[in-house]
Amino acid sequence: MIDCREVMAKLWDFIDGELPRAEFEAIRGHLAECRRCYPHYAFEISFLQALAAVRTAIPAPSRALRDRVRALVTLT
Amino acid sequence: MPPRGSDTGFDVEALDALTAVHRFAYHLTRDPVDAEDLVQETYARAYAAREQYRPGTNCTAWLMTICRNTFLQRRARAEREPAVSDSDLEALAAAAVHVSAQAQGFERDAFERPDFQAALTRGLAGLPEVFRAAVVLVDLEDFSYAEAAEVMQVPVGTLRSRLFRGRRLLQEALLDFAIDAGLVSTREGGAT
Repeated sequence: MIDCREVMAKLWDFIDGELPRAEFEAIRGHLAECRRCYPHYAFEISFLQALAAVRTAIPAPSRALRDRVRALVTLT
Repeated sequence: MPPRGSDTGFDVEALDALTAVHRFAYHLTRDPVDAEDLVQETYARAYAAREQYRPGTNCTAWLMTICRNTFLQRRARAEREPAVSDSDLEALAAAAVHVSAQAQGFERDAFERPDFQAALTRGLAGLPEVFRAAVVLVDLEDFSYAEAAEVMQVPVGTLRSRLFRGRRLLQEALLDFAIDAGLVSTREGGAT
């Protein structure tokens, strides 16, 4: 059986889809049952979703830049 | 083929200096393996610059100068690369950030607030480059650990460690922001 400490240590690997199948399933099973660990999981998910949204805070490349790059890659 | 470097007498003098240079390197690095590496690099650099050596001057000193400069440059390089921390400990530390956030009445809804998003953007910009790059690649660009490691030219374990450290630093920065913004109470013992 996997314990809470191990689940916490592997939580990000779990969320990031970086664990082997067996370990992934063990943690998924634990999270479904454990009232201590599940809130951590929910917190991390919210955090990572907010972080991913920062992507949209960066403006897209300007038209001018896009044109210059296109010119560069079509030179040859 | 003429012996390389012989025209300046560099090779003979340089080899005579080897024992002293190695000793010097050993004291600088305080490590036998690092000392050997340093000596090799010193000689490689010296050979490349052998035209600058004036025969009859102190070859050992010239080599020592190169040796020390090389050592200082390597150390500066090493200091720019933060030590790899234990990534499991980083993950556990992040759980501790959450415990602390909970204790202060932090609600997950806060992540969706616009000012929180702005704080997150600022926090990310404030991370040291190696952590920032790892977070951007994995969390903003959806790279796998292996893909991000390849971009950063580090082992996967190093990438994982940097990613986790970056995330934890961001969470701590966010919690500080939440406290400053009055989103949470700083009163201890708020946990249920």
